[in-house]
Amino acid sequence: MSENRPLAARATLRLALLMAAAVAALSLMAMALQYRLVETRMTEAARATLTADLGGYAALYEQRRIIALRQAIEYRAAAPSGAEMLLLLDRRGNVLAGTEAQWPAGLTAQGAGFTVDPAEEFTQGGTRWLAVARELPGGFPLLVARSLAPVDATLASLRRGMAALGLALLLAGAGVGWLAARSVMRRIGRLNDLADRVAGGELSARLPGPRSRDEFGLLETHVHGMLDRIENLNRATHRLSDTIAHELRTPLNRLMQKLGRIEGQEEVVDALRSEIRQSIRVFDSLLDISRAEADQGSGGGLVPVDLSEVAQEVWELYEPMAEDKGLLVQADVAPGLRVLGDRNLIAQMLSNLIDNAIKYCGPGDSLRLTLTEGADRHLMQVADTGPGLPEDLRAEAFDRFTRAERDRGIKGHGLGLALVRAIAARHGAKLEMPAAEKGFVLDIGWPKLAS
Amino acid sequence: MDRILIVEDDPETAEAVAQEVRALGCEPVWLATLDEGVAASSQDFRVIVLDRMLPGGDGVEAMARIRAGGSRAMILVLSALGRAAQRVEGLEKGADDYLPKPFEPEELRARLRALLRRGTIEVLDNDLLAFGDLEIRLKARTVHVRRAHVAVSPKEFELITYFARNAGQVVTRMQLLENVWKLHFDPGTNVVDVHVGRLRRKLEEAGSAAIQTARGEGYVFAPLKAG
Repeated sequence: MSENRPLAARATLRLALLMAAAVAALSLMAMALQYRLVETRMTEAARATLTADLGGYAALYEQRRIIALRQAIEYRAAAPSGAEMLLLLDRRGNVLAGTEAQWPAGLTAQGAGFTVDPAEEFTQGGTRWLAVARELPGGFPLLVARSLAPVDATLASLRRGMAALGLALLLAGAGVGWLAARSVMRRIGRLNDLADRVAGGELSARLPGPRSRDEFGLLETHVHGMLDRIENLNRATHRLSDTIAHELRTPLNRLMQKLGRIEGQEEVVDALRSEIRQSIRVFDSLLDISRAEADQGSGGGLVPVDLSEVAQEVWELYEPMAEDKGLLVQADVAPGLRVLGDRNLIAQMLSNLIDNAIKYCGPGDSLRLTLTEGADRHLMQVADTGPGLPEDLRAEAFDRFTRAERDRGIKGHGLGLALVRAIAARHGAKLEMPAAEKGFVLDIGWPKLAS
Repeated sequence: MDRILIVEDDPETAEAVAQEVRALGCEPVWLATLDEGVAASSQDFRVIVLDRMLPGGDGVEAMARIRAGGSRAMILVLSALGRAAQRVEGLEKGADDYLPKPFEPEELRARLRALLRRGTIEVLDNDLLAFGDLEIRLKARTVHVRRAHVAVSPKEFELITYFARNAGQVVTRMQLLENVWKLHFDPGTNVVDVHVGRLRRKLEEAGSAAIQTARGEGYVFAPLKAG
């Protein structure tokens, strides 16, 4: 039950993360497209500016060649904007005019025209430039470049924005995903809790409140339908066992009464009566087992019981018989341990166990009953040093009608341990058969009664 | 003559019960349905033997109506619903005794006798129960035979007081288990015999043959015949 909790939480987390990642990835893709678009458009704009610049210089060159060009460049270089780079050299490489003191390294002039192609990019002083380098007729290298810094700055701030937005989307996605997943998980959790309660025996458990008109509501309706059916079947089983009890007891009863009228054959009558008693006992045990199994975990009919007192009473009932058979008996029962239970059933269970032990042990064997308070359960142990269970029978010892071949000679019907198991289950007690060197040892862990 | 009402739908069983009633020197009155039984219960009956699954309903549920009708009879529920929980339920709802079917005639007789006696017994105001030279002191919880103290365990003391209260009558093993040990299931072994045997030996060693076996039925506490 409680081990399902981290599982559900994990599913919620997984779903939330998945949704967040999906939302963030989709948005990032959209933003990347936007980014590419902006980058292309801004680069194109820079190119257009450069084309316009070149157009102006081309017109001047048309009129008065290098002289006009030099004047224009000098004029522009006098008030540098920082956004453009201009340089005109003479045949020997001396600067005629320009914003730079020397030709940038790694840049070679290509062609002689004033067209923008081919243009190239280079980096100087930490900024990128879009440059057109030409060698004008007569051997005059000319450099006209526009700074790409505004483009880079815009793109950088765009990237920062995208990163921030991406992070925000991731968080928001995770948040929305978590909320959505939690509401789904909570509704599944409700159903899980219901299933747990029913498995625990609370057959009449149902989800309260109205059902929503969606798939969850439908699921709840279906589960409720199933539970109603199970509950009805269970009730029918109870009724059936009561009816069987009645219908079979009546003829047995008549048999018993008629035996009473037989005179003069007392031994035969006694033997027959004891047979009838034995049949009734088998029959009662079977009914007790199925009733205890059906009521398992329902908690109905259980009241606070002093387990120590019941143990002590049953022990005192059997102790003389065990002593008479020559067993070494010992009981250590801690006082005042309480459980939620049915006194009669607990007594019946213990009496079955002790009776078994006495039946199978011989003189000199020891029989011990201990009851102690454990950390989370009351620990009861019935231990004897008798023949114990044959290895091959250990697994099915608690099934109905299991009897060891070697015990055919001993009176019994193989229902004792089945009843013990059913009664333990009815009380939510755990049975364990620890390995013992010799004999039969059974540990019963009783749930404590919260005081 | 004391009258005993039998509310039972099975004629065969009713006849068996009636036989035991006659054997006790009482007059049986048989009715087959619950409503007839409840209606008749206001008459003067000493004991009502009541079935559970009757035409007209559950006898245990009808006990309140019987009491409301003014009946002061002892009620013995005789039913096929004989598991411990059902017996406890019956006793808690006001039955004076509960015997599961199938029953043995001796068992029924012993219980009817105990109920008849319980109906007449005056509350013992004294602390001393004396049967010849056997004396039981309830407050001090001691047993003396011929003025000599007999050491008994607490359970044995409860056993001997139960015997003493039903002195002279057959007491069955089942009655002992129910009344002394408060256990409502059949352990299937002779655990009770061992306890009775021990008590009996102690008394015999002290010189009292108070407890005797009633063959096939149980025990009789009949100290008057003992020496």
